[in-house]
Amino acid sequence: MTESNDSIRDRLKASADQDEQSGSGDTRGSELQTSDFQQTDSRAELPHGEQQTLQRSTLPAPTGLDLDPAARASAERKVAGLFLMSVVGVVGFIATFIAVPFDFGTRFSTAYTPLLGFFMALSLTGIGAGAVLWAKTLMVDEETTQERHHQASAPEDRAAAAAILKQGFQDSGLPRRSLLRNSILLGAGSLALLPLPLFTDLGSWRHKERVLSTTAWRKGSRLLDSLGRPVKIGDIEIGGATTVFPDVPGGRTQARSASLLIRMRPDQLKQQANRADWSVDGHIVYSVVCTHLGCPVKLYEQQTHHLFCPCHQSTFDASNQAKVLFGPAARPLPQLAISVDAEGYFIAQGDYAEPVGPSFWERKPSYDKKAGS
Amino acid sequence: MTKTRSRLSGYAVLLLALGMVGGLYTAVAAPKSQAAEGANQSIAVEEGRQLYLQGCSTCHGLNNQGGAGGPTLIGVGASSVVFQVESGRMPLANGGSQAPRKTVKYDRTQIDQLAAYVHSIGGGPTVPAGLDNLSDADLSLGGALFRTNCASCHNFAGAGGALTRSKYAPSLSPSNARVIYTAMQSGPESMPRFGDNQLTPSEKKDIVRYVRYITSASDPGGAALGRFGPVSEGLVVFLVGIGVLIVGTLWIGARA
Repeated sequence: MTESNDSIRDRLKASADQDEQSGSGDTRGSELQTSDFQQTDSRAELPHGEQQTLQRSTLPAPTGLDLDPAARASAERKVAGLFLMSVVGVVGFIATFIAVPFDFGTRFSTAYTPLLGFFMALSLTGIGAGAVLWAKTLMVDEETTQERHHQASAPEDRAAAAAILKQGFQDSGLPRRSLLRNSILLGAGSLALLPLPLFTDLGSWRHKERVLSTTAWRKGSRLLDSLGRPVKIGDIEIGGATTVFPDVPGGRTQARSASLLIRMRPDQLKQQANRADWSVDGHIVYSVVCTHLGCPVKLYEQQTHHLFCPCHQSTFDASNQAKVLFGPAARPLPQLAISVDAEGYFIAQGDYAEPVGPSFWERKPSYDKKAGS
Repeated sequence: MTKTRSRLSGYAVLLLALGMVGGLYTAVAAPKSQAAEGANQSIAVEEGRQLYLQGCSTCHGLNNQGGAGGPTLIGVGASSVVFQVESGRMPLANGGSQAPRKTVKYDRTQIDQLAAYVHSIGGGPTVPAGLDNLSDADLSLGGALFRTNCASCHNFAGAGGALTRSKYAPSLSPSNARVIYTAMQSGPESMPRFGDNQLTPSEKKDIVRYVRYITSASDPGGAALGRFGPVSEGLVVFLVGIGVLIVGTLWIGARA
């Protein structure tokens, strides 16, 4: 505390000190303090330079393992094991990325993301836990006291620091313990490989553009409600809305295909000419995947015909091509063209004319022209 | 022989006469009880009309036709009346983006009388009986339907949430079974209507039971934090998480 106060005073009075040394005999109010300061300023004369060097305490190392070679070897193996576990994690991560299928609906596809997460956690935990265990069991635990000193250390301080670094390097055991050194180099080095495969997704060779620009809707597929029942004309009252999914295997679990069937009075619907036959008697279907960041836009206000995204407050006008009224969404919600089959059930005229959901790298401006918006 | 037959025919005539009297009585009496019920109904309608003229006609018009500040009530049915009045939204104190819940102004009998009156004008959806005991309703199906149809606005725990332009989906916890059911039927304000072909009456009862269940359920995970989900929970996780990280850092830095 005293040292710290002194060193602050050092800086405050640095200019005063210079004036003093230049020999000006001015009487100033700060003269008393200046002389006081001179006493503590040890830079010039170094009368008590020892105070400023780093002092190593002579306390004995408290780690019992240092005295017991068997325990030390056991701890060493544990640490190395953790580092190697990290390697296993990296290998597993890359293997999962390559080998496990992620395509929608295929077997094991639900294990894809959890496996990636598991192996990433394994690799990170291995390195981290190994390092902590190492420091706690094997490293020499000595207490050192570091006095405060000038920002630029004196040469002998630096020499002392270098010596300590050297000592620390020796203490860590890196020069002697080749197993530890090699395993951490291997573990940390392979950890650097972990993010690399993810960059491959930035290219289009793996995720084909098709994956992002299509949904499960097909020509003639009926509109199923959340319980899997096909929706008939007349089921939805004016002012009603229901979530619908395509009548394909697994269609009700594919989030990208989720859509909202809304019914309003036909005269409330402002349809563009090119979409005149996309709706049936005031029934209109939009994708519920927000064009901003993909949240489900299912908050339908039947009086204002607003479709509201709860994530970032994007508001779409369901009565007018789902145009953006407010919020960060850049495009209207895609509209699904529907018609009615012979039995009165709603069917899709085909897939969405444009990709649903947020923008992506390969999304082409021509999509918007195709959708006529 | 003749004597016997005449005695038997006497009984037969008596039997016939008794039967005719009984039949005549039931024939006369049945319309009488129906008429009594009809009279009760018309009394309810008349009582309802008096309540309507006092409490509602200023905005909704003397003949339910709507007017200054109030929409027409022709065709809204008993269902809408029960929802609006039993949840305390009507009578409205003052205009705004949305009618808020207030203290309920009428008792159950009066609400039913008002509903009977409004229903007598234009018809519409009616409130089903049997909403007081829903122990037969399918709780898990109600949950599935709630999550796909209701949760996007009313929150997965029925805590409500924001809509556009200062409107909001209210919390469902103060709502009784009739209010929840009639809300789905009538689609009040911003809420979509859920017709009986979209959600059958039985499915609506399942949803009602589920809503009553979640809004009265205890919070096994500890503090409910308003049941708002990621916002309040995220804040707590962030603060607690940072705290754990600090403690962990101190532990790593501590002497072995």
